[in-house]
Amino acid sequence: MADGGQFSAAPFWQNGPSPGQFYNTPGTNLASSQLPRTYTQQPIVTGTSVLGVTFTGGVVIAADTLGSYGSLARFRDISRLLKVNEKVAIGASGDYADFQFIRDIINQKVLDGKCLNDNYCYSPVAIHTWLTRILYNRRTKINPLWNNIIVGGYDENEGSYLGYVDKLGVAYQAPTIATGYGSYIAQPLLRQSYESNNNNFTEEQALSAIERCMRVLLYRDGRSGNQYEVAIITKDGCQVTSPKPISTNWDIAEYVKYV
Amino acid sequence: MFMTRSEYDRGVNTFSPEGRLFQVEYAIEAIKLGSTAIGIKTSEGIVLAVERRITSPLTEPESMEKILKIDNHIGCAMSGLIADSRTLVDTARVESQSHWFTYNETMTVESVTHTVSKLTLQFGDDDAGAGAMSRPFGVALLFAGIDEKGPQLFHLDPSGTYFECEAKAIGSGSEGAQSQLHELYHQNMNMKEALITVLTILKQVMEEKIDSNNVEVMLIANVQRGNFLH
Amino acid sequence: MAAELKKAIYPENATIGLPTQHRFDPYTLNGGTIVGVAGDNFAILAGDTRLSEGFMIHSRDTSKIYKLTEKTFLGTCGFQGDVLTLTRLLNARLTMYEFEHRKKMSSTAISQMLSTVLYYRRFFPYYTFNILAGIDTDGKGCIYSYDAVGNYEKHTYHASGTASSMLQPLLDNQVGYLNQEGVRRVPLTIDKARTLIKDVFISATERDMYTGDSLHIVTITSDGVTEDHFPLRRD
Repeated sequence: MADGGQFSAAPFWQNGPSPGQFYNTPGTNLASSQLPRTYTQQPIVTGTSVLGVTFTGGVVIAADTLGSYGSLARFRDISRLLKVNEKVAIGASGDYADFQFIRDIINQKVLDGKCLNDNYCYSPVAIHTWLTRILYNRRTKINPLWNNIIVGGYDENEGSYLGYVDKLGVAYQAPTIATGYGSYIAQPLLRQSYESNNNNFTEEQALSAIERCMRVLLYRDGRSGNQYEVAIITKDGCQVTSPKPISTNWDIAEYVKYV
Repeated sequence: MFMTRSEYDRGVNTFSPEGRLFQVEYAIEAIKLGSTAIGIKTSEGIVLAVERRITSPLTEPESMEKILKIDNHIGCAMSGLIADSRTLVDTARVESQSHWFTYNETMTVESVTHTVSKLTLQFGDDDAGAGAMSRPFGVALLFAGIDEKGPQLFHLDPSGTYFECEAKAIGSGSEGAQSQLHELYHQNMNMKEALITVLTILKQVMEEKIDSNNVEVMLIANVQRGNFLH
Repeated sequence: MAAELKKAIYPENATIGLPTQHRFDPYTLNGGTIVGVAGDNFAILAGDTRLSEGFMIHSRDTSKIYKLTEKTFLGTCGFQGDVLTLTRLLNARLTMYEFEHRKKMSSTAISQMLSTVLYYRRFFPYYTFNILAGIDTDGKGCIYSYDAVGNYEKHTYHASGTASSMLQPLLDNQVGYLNQEGVRRVPLTIDKARTLIKDVFISATERDMYTGDSLHIVTITSDGVTEDHFPLRRD
């Protein structure tokens, strides 16, 4: 190509494999092809604790409205509770996208049920067992839905119902449940007041126990938000309240001396 | 009946207006062309006997097997299209082993009959699944064995219908043999009496003179499980 | 020397340079202990009711003992997600068997089925440790213990779960009369077995933080089944 110029042919063999050598097809980086196929490895936008407490004649579950992106308080007013029907509500901590996915499926299921117009409505156990199967099956595919879910409900025949299920398919029922950071901070408080109250709460006692725990969590959990929603399920139905701010007192801050 | 062919003879799974599946009924008719097979249940065990139709003196009688072992405690006699029984006997054998593998217990004669019966109606035209037969099986089976309920004898026909019997005859001589069984069978029979009864009846319904070559017998005795005598 | 050591730890061609990655772990251990004891005409199956995960107690009253048939019970601990799935699968299989074979499954049949069910998941096991207790067809008590992939053995007594390494030698000594000289071997009675089981669980609770809250004891005889609850330490 000594003369160069636009009329001369391009080099015959360029950017190709050197003859007799191995060639790596572009885009199939050896390192990435050696890695196993992976799905969700960690949650992205997350919700923190959900609390649930049973009382005589009903159940209450509560969750704040913060969606965190790592340490960033990314979304400050999103709902982490879902009213399923007049008997059941659920609350989720963990990955918010996965919660939205679950919410969409449940809403579709409930809508399909309504189309049958037979007045059937999923009971708390039914929703809890179904969710357990969904989450367990996803973990078995190594593609988990990264959530801890609390199922709260009241059924005329079965009474108050409070259940837990996590991303692995571990599931159980208990009179008080807290997920995430709340399992360390709120659950002991809830258990203590529940047990010291003869294993029996009224609705008011349950709500005040929840409020106290949400406040403690706001003080101590760095990923918590300053307002929370509550779902109350009784024989009269299920209602999710609009977000309620948590009152705080920072007077003591003045006395804290940082060395 | 055979003269009036109708369109309902065509599809193997088409009901006639009277509610009949002709192909299945014809399959049951095919049994009546087969050699006679008889089973008698006693409190000690079960006797199965089948006629061997030796069409040529050049055949080896031993190679005509119409009584087969399913498992150590179950045997099976057949009449009709013997080749059709291969699939059924195979299934029975596999299921019996699979039951032992999974549950570490011998499979009951009824359960074996039940699993085999599920195959018998797996036939159809083009839309039948892969592995399905294009026509009904042309064979009837007598399953005999000893399980936890004691000696058991089951009859299975091409329609998939099965039921328990104390004594049963199938095949070309079945009508005569069955009425003989009605007369000769009683519940207090022992194995020896049952064997004599079976052979007596077989002798009467067979066209040829009975001898040790043209009859096949299996005894499933109660004394010891899996005590098979051919 | 240092270079050799380094080579042993980081062999050449190792995945140095690749990102270290955190893989999703599909298992967790939810703790708990189960004990089974079989006598001549009875079988006892006992388990604590604590459900825990790490330093957290999820529930104080989740029993590990599952009823399979009128005379067969299953004790199971390990990963509770698998426990729930396995027990549901077994119940379905039991029902199907009953329809198919027109009889209830015997304890021995269940013991073999459980083994095959577990082994079918050999390469993604149910992380559960099981003890099956029942009355066999001769009316005798029987205990079968399993590992996670279906290896099983018939025993007269066995302990599984987080405190099993503490309880098994104790049972070896007290029920199996092992490592004792000149001891008179008395056939185990129901009362003696139950008292012993309570005692060993009280001891286990002192040393194993995953065992506690309360004890669920199921006593199976050919006449029927009795179930008892007995409080344990809650800390």
